Amino acid sequence: MSIKGKYRIGIDVGGTFTDGVLVLEEEVVAKTKDRTTSDVTTGTINVIDNLLNKSDVDPTSIGMITLSTTHTTNAIIERKGLDKVGILRLALPTGSAIPPLTGWPEDLKEALGGKENVEMVPGGYNYDGEPISELDESLIREKVNKMADSVDTFAITGVFSPVRPDQEKRVAEIIREEIDENIPITLSGEISTISLLERENSAILNASVISVMNRAINAIEDAMDSRDIDAELFIMQNDGSVIKGDQATNYPIFTLASGPAASIRGAVFLTNITDGALVDVGGTSTDVGYMVDGFPRESMMTVEIGGVKTNIRAPDLTSIPLGGGTIIETDGEDVKKLGPESVALDLQRLAKSYGGPMTTVHDIAVAKGRLDEDLSIFSTPYATDPEKAKNIPSKIVDEAWKLIKKRVEKTIDEMKTDPEDIPAILVGGGSTVVPKEFKGTTKVHESEHSEVAGALGATLAEIAAYAENVVDLEKRDRQEAIDETIEMAKNNVEKNGGDPEAADVLDIQEVPFSYMPGEREKIRVKVKSKFKGL
Amino acid sequence: MTKKDMKNDPYEIIDEWGVSESDYQVIDEKAIERITLGANILATGGGGDPEIGLKWAKNVLEEGKDIVMVQPEAVPDDVQLACAATLGAPVVLTEKPPAKENTRLIFEKMEDYLERPIDATFPIECGGVNSPIGYAVGGDFGLPVIDVDGMNRAFPELQMTTFATQGVPATPVVTIDDHHHCCIVDMGEKNKVAEDIVRNIAMKYGGISWIGCYPMKGKELKETGVLHSQSLAWNLGKTVMEARKEHEDPIESILEFLEEDRGIPGAHIFTGKVMDINREFGSETTHGFSMGRVTLEGIEEYEGQEAHLEFQNEWLVAKIDDEVKCLPPDMIALLDPETGEPIRTDLIRYGYRVKMIVMPAHENMRTPEGIETFGPRYFGFDEDYTPVEKLLGVDNDE
Repeated sequence: MSIKGKYRIGIDVGGTFTDGVLVLEEEVVAKTKDRTTSDVTTGTINVIDNLLNKSDVDPTSIGMITLSTTHTTNAIIERKGLDKVGILRLALPTGSAIPPLTGWPEDLKEALGGKENVEMVPGGYNYDGEPISELDESLIREKVNKMADSVDTFAITGVFSPVRPDQEKRVAEIIREEIDENIPITLSGEISTISLLERENSAILNASVISVMNRAINAIEDAMDSRDIDAELFIMQNDGSVIKGDQATNYPIFTLASGPAASIRGAVFLTNITDGALVDVGGTSTDVGYMVDGFPRESMMTVEIGGVKTNIRAPDLTSIPLGGGTIIETDGEDVKKLGPESVALDLQRLAKSYGGPMTTVHDIAVAKGRLDEDLSIFSTPYATDPEKAKNIPSKIVDEAWKLIKKRVEKTIDEMKTDPEDIPAILVGGGSTVVPKEFKGTTKVHESEHSEVAGALGATLAEIAAYAENVVDLEKRDRQEAIDETIEMAKNNVEKNGGDPEAADVLDIQEVPFSYMPGEREKIRVKVKSKFKGL
Repeated sequence: MTKKDMKNDPYEIIDEWGVSESDYQVIDEKAIERITLGANILATGGGGDPEIGLKWAKNVLEEGKDIVMVQPEAVPDDVQLACAATLGAPVVLTEKPPAKENTRLIFEKMEDYLERPIDATFPIECGGVNSPIGYAVGGDFGLPVIDVDGMNRAFPELQMTTFATQGVPATPVVTIDDHHHCCIVDMGEKNKVAEDIVRNIAMKYGGISWIGCYPMKGKELKETGVLHSQSLAWNLGKTVMEARKEHEDPIESILEFLEEDRGIPGAHIFTGKVMDINREFGSETTHGFSMGRVTLEGIEEYEGQEAHLEFQNEWLVAKIDDEVKCLPPDMIALLDPETGEPIRTDLIRYGYRVKMIVMPAHENMRTPEGIETFGPRYFGFDEDYTPVEKLLGVDNDE
């Protein structure tokens, strides 16, 4: 398969707006913002139509559409349209003190079919690959058949399956033999890493949104067909890489937190800078992210969604309450406080620049002359009464400006991993309300189209994959173990639609096991590659 | 299930002891969350992720079992106690959660070996994952949990307790594997040898072992334990959670609490940003422990100063501008300035802003035997132990 059309569409679904861009190589041909609809799909199709209308591009020349979407997030949070999940844990005799679904909200448990479809059976491995228990296949067949009529999908979790996946795979075969060759099955080892309970949660949630993702992709592909768009559909994932639409239906959980990842990829698209800080300024808050080799750095924190702790890693992001609408409290000619309160959507009613009574970060930027022209994405002018902002005492303006600068600098500094200066990229609708220079940075980059950074980021179709291995370095050569893990990651990249031959290693992590003699460690490798068809 | 499993009811046991209402507390979900947070602060940066223990304890409560904490003064001299814990690599524990049968087996095998029933239990350490595990096993097996531990913090090795340094041996230790096999180590006074053997057993079991240890009588527990350490953790956790809710400075609240309510001087001695982390790898240098050194650059009122922390699973030695400020077994905690959440040695990263507080170890920890077992020289530092209050120059007795 190859991608014929030269044009690419990127779509980024946000809470309020769905952004879209149509690009030809590096050039932005059209961009649009439309209201996000409650079903998400309608808004997405509207954006495709807007782009076609605005650009006059022949639909048949569009080669790919990439979507960063909130379908699965919304479904989990709203407990809507979720699949009934058969839950199997391969761990006995271990693990029984904390059964699956422990600590889940009752309504979410109910939405997945409740506790009746939960089975713990013998299985699992130790860290060294020795089995805890062999599978009891006839028992598994019996349990699976018992659940057959009440579940739509299965989630299988085995102890240390990220190290040895074969038991999980065997159970999947058994389910297919017993029930249906096409029943969707989620294997925890393909979803995430060591830490059984969180991995199991992630696998169960993944299983529960497979139909949600399926329906979304079918609807969008139908809409593409009826518009003569013969393009490959990609879905953005939380690590900034993309996955083919048909693959995404197997791993919908990875679309959680794909929005911030898309913004970081957008910054790469706009500046060609691959390492540094992303400063995304909005109306009420600023997010500072960090990119490494063009991809978002992973957070140590994991995603908690709908009241359930997963071990899906989100992009590392620090959010601070600082945006255009952030209120500055003054006392005479002194700044008393910068935020965290904000005028939010009432900027044009309350802020000085619009004749209002309150001093906001927006007004300081106007007074400073940083913000002196209308921005194309906003239908409203940058100020209706700029003089009122310019009349703010200069002591307040300077003090506030310094505070704003310091706030951002502190956050950038916290995101760094060493004291070296780094480039920073300024994006977002509020990027002109903060200074252009920050201590600790080599340069602050600004660029056109930054207000649709997420949609632009979606157009960069790069495929990433991980692999994880636990090894005892007293028994195995370290380099050999790392090479083996790299091979495992390359196999995974191929599974995701990437070209293993063109794969680059993005990251190698080695984490020693503490409180344990010997030289046991966990090796984790991340690779990226171009889509095989490109 | 055996008859034994059905026998225990913590209320029946404390009734038998004649414990008055003011001498016991019912541990609910909120209490176990608070105790776990407090114990995590006292864990001195180590002790493993308490999450699994917390989930287990909550699940025991959800199953309708009771967890009851009893004041040590109410424990009769002649009753039999033992504690249950996990020993080995915390990362393995996160992948291989406990089995229900473990609890029963730990206590049953111990009972068989001692040839008498166990009447009550207690957490071995008031810090890290073994802290909530003490409550989970107590609740699961139906034993009262005594408000006591053996260090009032976390330490990495079996023999590092006030029980051992004051003559109560760690063994017999009952070690249970995943398949309910059992190996009993009985080494008399040779606690360090027992530690080496048990750690190797844990490796053979796949990285962790469930253990029963420190069997002792009520009298011994009261004489050698760190009494009321569980209440300390509970109130500490409560203080932090309430400060968060009221948007007060959690660190100020911790210090006030330690000073006023507990009469323990805690001191905020540094605020800084992590500039460097130097982790050592390889079993020859680290003996299986997570070791290294963290450099903090002073911020706010500490600007211009530099702090260094040495760690071996736990924070051990703190220096500010090359002056020693805290030595083991005195306690160091690095706390997130906003939330008061303790930051563990395995999670700390460049750029973290932290407040460092130090706390004196319990007096039972500071005996000559204690300093020999877990003082600076045991961990390889060429320093004589000096109490933290002397190092800070705030010793009121002088």
